[in-house]
Amino acid sequence: MIRLICPFCGPRELREFEFHKTRAEPGSTPYAQVYERVNRLDDSVEHWQHVQGCRAWMLVRRNPSTGLVLETRILGGDHP
Amino acid sequence: MSAVVRRGTRLTAETLCFTFDGREYHGQVGDTAASALLASGVRTMGRSVKYRRLRGVLAAGPEEPNALFTVGSSPTVFPNVCAPQLELREGMVLRSQNRWPSLRYDVASLLQLGSGFLGAGFYYKTFIWPSWHRWEAPIRALAGLGEAPGACELPTVAVEHFSCDVLVAGAGAAGLAAARAAARAGARVVLCEREPVCGGELEFESGTIEGRPALAWIDATLAELATLSARVLTGTALVGETGGEFIALYEPGGLPGANAVYKIRPRAFVIAMGATERPIAFINNDLPGVMLLGAAERFLSRYGVNAGRELVLFANHDRVYAAATRLVVAGMRVRAIVDTRDATGLGPQAARQRTALAGTGTDCLLGHAVIRVTGRGQVRRAVIAPLASPAAAHSIACDTLLVSGGWGPSTHAGMHEGGVTRYEEALGAFVSTEQPDGRENAGAANGLLELSQALADGAGAGTRAARRAGADGDPGTAPLGSGDGAPRLVPFWRSPADRAGEKHQFIDYQNDVNVADLRAALAEGFVDIEHVKRYTALGFGTDQGRMGGLLGAAILAELRGEPLRDVGTSRLRPPYHPVTMQSLAGLRVGARLRPMRRTPLHEWHVAHGGVLEPMDLWMRTRYYRENGPGAYEAGIAEAQRVRTSGGIIDGSTLGKIEVAGPDSGPFLDALYLNKASTIKVGRSKYMVNLREDGMVLDDGIVLRIAEDRFIATTSSGHGAHMLAHFEHYRDTQWSGCGVTVTDVTEAWAVIVVAGPQSRTVLREVLSAQWRQPLDALTHMAFARGTLAGQDLTVLRASFSGELAFELHCRPSISEPLWESLIAAGFKPYGLEALDILRVEKGYLVSSELNGQTTPFDLSMDDLVKHGNHCIGRELLDRPAFHEPTRPRLVGVRAVDGRMAFYGGAQLTTPDQPHRACGYVTSSVYSPTLSEWVGLALVSRAHADGAVLDCRDPVRIGDCKVRLTSIIHYDPSGERMKS
Repeated sequence: MIRLICPFCGPRELREFEFHKTRAEPGSTPYAQVYERVNRLDDSVEHWQHVQGCRAWMLVRRNPSTGLVLETRILGGDHP
Repeated sequence: MSAVVRRGTRLTAETLCFTFDGREYHGQVGDTAASALLASGVRTMGRSVKYRRLRGVLAAGPEEPNALFTVGSSPTVFPNVCAPQLELREGMVLRSQNRWPSLRYDVASLLQLGSGFLGAGFYYKTFIWPSWHRWEAPIRALAGLGEAPGACELPTVAVEHFSCDVLVAGAGAAGLAAARAAARAGARVVLCEREPVCGGELEFESGTIEGRPALAWIDATLAELATLSARVLTGTALVGETGGEFIALYEPGGLPGANAVYKIRPRAFVIAMGATERPIAFINNDLPGVMLLGAAERFLSRYGVNAGRELVLFANHDRVYAAATRLVVAGMRVRAIVDTRDATGLGPQAARQRTALAGTGTDCLLGHAVIRVTGRGQVRRAVIAPLASPAAAHSIACDTLLVSGGWGPSTHAGMHEGGVTRYEEALGAFVSTEQPDGRENAGAANGLLELSQALADGAGAGTRAARRAGADGDPGTAPLGSGDGAPRLVPFWRSPADRAGEKHQFIDYQNDVNVADLRAALAEGFVDIEHVKRYTALGFGTDQGRMGGLLGAAILAELRGEPLRDVGTSRLRPPYHPVTMQSLAGLRVGARLRPMRRTPLHEWHVAHGGVLEPMDLWMRTRYYRENGPGAYEAGIAEAQRVRTSGGIIDGSTLGKIEVAGPDSGPFLDALYLNKASTIKVGRSKYMVNLREDGMVLDDGIVLRIAEDRFIATTSSGHGAHMLAHFEHYRDTQWSGCGVTVTDVTEAWAVIVVAGPQSRTVLREVLSAQWRQPLDALTHMAFARGTLAGQDLTVLRASFSGELAFELHCRPSISEPLWESLIAAGFKPYGLEALDILRVEKGYLVSSELNGQTTPFDLSMDDLVKHGNHCIGRELLDRPAFHEPTRPRLVGVRAVDGRMAFYGGAQLTTPDQPHRACGYVTSSVYSPTLSEWVGLALVSRAHADGAVLDCRDPVRIGDCKVRLTSIIHYDPSGERMKS
């Protein structure tokens, strides 16, 4: 099971988090944002929420093929 | 029974009593089911799953494929319990498996007569006419292992999560050395051992370590580990790993259904899980009396059980001579040692032991193999032939044949996250090479079978693991030891046999896979090891290929004429150890599966006959028992009362999100289809959210309580989702803006007071200061004040079509307020009545907001027209949303007013009876109108007044319905605004 590091709470079990979606390409049309989402095997940029914790929304970059988490940071001014 | 008290490392002298297949046996405390039965002379412990051949115990560990018992009495049974692992308890009830009516006489074993037909793939190829499903039930009745439990007491299994620096799996020589080195270096060590005691092979291998007998060294090492605060978990089996989290089960006594589940996150992982001995395939190698050499040694040293009286040993390595020497010392007679190697293979130590054994009358044959064993129901003779000329066979009388074909390192645990293995010819097995970060094999699990090497390897791995975890202390020197010499093994997989004989050369005992099956698989074109596995079931079952996996791969390689390294073994996956679903669920079963949300009035509803049902995580009252025998009758009575006088309902489950700050108005404008920023302070508005793709997400009332402060209510089932939705936009697009989002759902209890007399009753119940506001409140306006010193908001809004008020009060005063409303003559109603009231008025229930309906479909065109640029607005303009085939929300009523119709019924036209043009989303019996009324989503092609067929063949049959206006009752809304 992958393990996420909440920017506020530190490493927590995966079940505390909820996956929302992969990030839309910034600047794309509303249609593309809904229906043309990228699904990359090696570098997936995703929105997660620490639902059962501090409820912060986070941006998570990870490699779905290895389970390696490359980056976690809080969302701020990102495209929804 | 057995008067002799056996002595073994695991035994006490105390006796106990148990039954096996209805017969009473005695054992000693510490015995396993297998050892006690063997000691009582029972050699047949089950039948095989397919051919129903009699089988005895083959191994002494979890790799045992034959002796699987059903423990307990129906329906509370544990099936497929591994007998050599099952610790006996007084009065234990054991049953053999795969037999009917008894182990000795089994009807299905007649199948053996036709076993020539029953090879792999037999069922799939034979039972295809007219359909497999016709044959499936009787075949399934014959198949399968054990009896599934019909009932089960759910133990409260606690799951313990913890982390450590170094996790060492396996407490044999290498594991103990690794744990000691890591702990000395300062790492927090957890040592996990499947057996109830530590030691592994050291339990019977005559070795000395650091100048002490091996058993004394184990005790000293464990004592030292205790002083170094290492945690030693015995009786704890590793199940597998997912992404750095290891699951281990504490199963004392070997019964499934763990007493504790550990989820461990180590920084480094040392796999010291030893090696599993494998058999050699020869004809009838499954006859009771055939046992693994190592198993015989374990039964002897742990439980004082002699595997037999007259033994023949069959092996391809040096260790057989050391083992034979120990068996002879224990009083067993070794008639012959059949070694497949020639004289050049023998090491000096083995040669000395061989000479000594020959001197005591043991026939030591080199370059020979056991071709077959014979006997009815158990081994009587072994047929032995020189490998150079298999025809020149002779036979030796014996009652037991001990076989050892070498050892396969237990690399399994390291493979779950993508480890790699390599074939090692000197072992005739695969050893791990490249492992994922922080995982390392050590000792026999790393292919090092000699004690001195295993100790050094373990200490090295432990030191590296400690360093990886950041512990930089002194690991001390690696322990030195000497035990049995190197095995000097020459791979040997199966004895010569003709084609008929191959059917009785068993590879995977648990699945009755023999050499002929592999040949059949190849003939059918299943060449790859993974395909052969699926075709033959090689490596399935509770032992997960521990026993037959490698042997099968090797024989497949032989049949394919390719080297074993190219054939490889099938992919290893968790679980390594059988695990019950119950253990994985832990405490999260039944009512504890999900958290339950209760309203402040929950206890009142329960105490007053409320029938509660879940809505998301909430529990809500469907109806009150005093109003009728079931939901239907009670709902009608409760709804009728609201229309005639009034009633109250607990609406505390409404999601309530407080949005505050200077930007709160524009923020809500972006989240809702209609504008929030135009709401006046003290007023509220019915508002609708869209999803990003334009579909309707949720609806609710938004209250503006101050210039910069709103409370947005959501539907009860959507509260958690809507909160996350709000928070997401707050943290993305609106990040840095002046807006806060706070969940106040549980800060406010909500009591809805509905009915023509609601104002009168409230004037009576609320304090005098509320009379004027109550009279002054217009539709969708609210007033804020206090009641009994606590905050109270009274909102005039209606979801019933009647004059109605929502009382948002603090939870602490909700029950007295509720009670005083009851005292004033208003009775509570539940969701069933609420649905009736809503559908009568054409308000959306929930099946209309199904994620597939646009605001246009739901006749919210006005909201869109006057709406603003919100989330999802842009995608509303897609042409497909405006095509005439889109559905629209309509009302429906039966043409014959007495007919009932249900939500879910499909609507068709007479000229297209097989194509639905819509469906009923919700329907209720309206006591006010004395007929069934409903809402439906119907293609725009059909105007109000059209008559459609309402098709519901499975439930109540068909009827004709007429499309009507959405609002069935009080279309002008006079009652609500009165």
